[in-house]
Amino acid sequence: MARVDERRQAYASYKEDVQRRGKPFYPYAMFHDTVMSVVVVAVIVALACIWYFDSNEEPGEEGAGILGPRYTEKADPGTISFIPRPDWYFFFLFYLLRIFKWPESVILATIGVPTILLILLISLPFLDRRRERRPLRRPVAVVAGVLVMISMGVLTYKGGTVREALGATAAEIDTWFQRNNLPEEARPGAEFFAETCTQCHTYLGSGSANLGAPDLSAVGATGRNVEAFIQIMREGPGAMPSFATQPEENLRAIAVFLEASKGPGGG
Amino acid sequence: MARRPPSLLRRIVNYPLDWIEERSGLIGGVRYFLFRKVPHDTNWAHTLGSATLTAFIVQALTGAILAMYYRPDPGTAYESIQKITNELTLGWLVRGMHRWGASVFIILMFLHMGRVFLYGAYKYPRELNWVIGVLLLVLGLFEGLTGYLLPYDQTGYWATVVAININGTAPILGPFLVNLLNGGADFGPETLSRFYALHMLLVPGAIFALIGLHLYLVIRLGVSSPPWSDRPAGDAMPLPPPSRDGARAGLVRPGARRRVRS
Repeated sequence: MARVDERRQAYASYKEDVQRRGKPFYPYAMFHDTVMSVVVVAVIVALACIWYFDSNEEPGEEGAGILGPRYTEKADPGTISFIPRPDWYFFFLFYLLRIFKWPESVILATIGVPTILLILLISLPFLDRRRERRPLRRPVAVVAGVLVMISMGVLTYKGGTVREALGATAAEIDTWFQRNNLPEEARPGAEFFAETCTQCHTYLGSGSANLGAPDLSAVGATGRNVEAFIQIMREGPGAMPSFATQPEENLRAIAVFLEASKGPGGG
Repeated sequence: MARRPPSLLRRIVNYPLDWIEERSGLIGGVRYFLFRKVPHDTNWAHTLGSATLTAFIVQALTGAILAMYYRPDPGTAYESIQKITNELTLGWLVRGMHRWGASVFIILMFLHMGRVFLYGAYKYPRELNWVIGVLLLVLGLFEGLTGYLLPYDQTGYWATVVAININGTAPILGPFLVNLLNGGADFGPETLSRFYALHMLLVPGAIFALIGLHLYLVIRLGVSSPPWSDRPAGDAMPLPPPSRDGARAGLVRPGARRRVRS
């Protein structure tokens, strides 16, 4: 018999069986649903209470309780040292940006992997068309599902516990000058860079590779001039925010530093 | 034998119900919803869908209250959130429930999806409802994304700047998406109003509509038994091959002769 007819018959027998042996939704299933819904609302209220009573009016870390602060500082488009962090349920995407590096493969993290996952998710019932529902007899589907769950769990955990850059120290800046053979005029830019850009970019082992930001230890060897670096900071390519609101002299100082950074042994 | 006339109480209760039923058929619909049969072996895992709906209703109600006090303007949004949290009576509770309800909603969507996956409940004839569920998941996550900006604090602001830039890396569509989300070429005052409108009107409206469709299909198609049940409803799978000493206990059901053997 054709598979289409077979599954139609199976569904018809399901309908008939439910009519004959099933239980009415009210009160049986509805009782479970109601209990579960009460639990859900109670959990939400409990989280709200813990969040509120364990925090205070101060923004950010100072006012934070076990569930975090009520809010951070007011948004300031002029800041350049804030590490953008999404809410926890986007941590897995956030962490993907550390795995796929700018610029070659970052598109895989921003668009590629999420799009492929979404297409697979939507097409699941069209890929898996057998009638079999017992998990042990659907090894491919179950193994794939478990793997996706584990990897999302691991990525979420890693995204949540990732090392935050604290800015580079003065000693680290001195190391940069030695190892990269930097001229003294790059000093002001290096200090700005250490304070701000290292929140996302790495430089000779300092800083934190956030959001797919590339390592800039040898970016001066790419042949870009000072103006080109200023342009990049203003535009903010890819995931990078635009820093066009920053004073020109700060951007120029950073650009001078970057232009001089030709990597260890270069220059 | 003459039937006793209905009591006065019964007539008082029934009259408005009959009135509505005669003009809309809604009472019959509710009766069908409540007294329809579900498989005898449904369990606690089957409550995850209605639990997700409850979390969404919490979001809708608390969101409506927040909208009464929140100002979607870059100059005053942050202050209005501070006022809601610290000054308004129970404002902290409403905002706290909305903030944490979002996480609970998203966790429940994933758990519900996991249940449907494990039970193989996305298979014929429920494929379409799986697709609607995936769309609901995407819209739910988009609610999380748009809502994150609204307090207009540093975390929300910078996360949103980066999230919009990430959309910009998409081939072909990228610049268009960035323009659409920003409400212009760059992040500006329009972005906040745009996110607010998306977050509290457009996306929740779409979610409501899709939930309606989702529930309609659940009621129409019925929920599936746990696949490992002793006697799952219907015969969603072929019977095991008959063994020499007859079929295995617990897998033979009355009415088996009507089922398709493959």
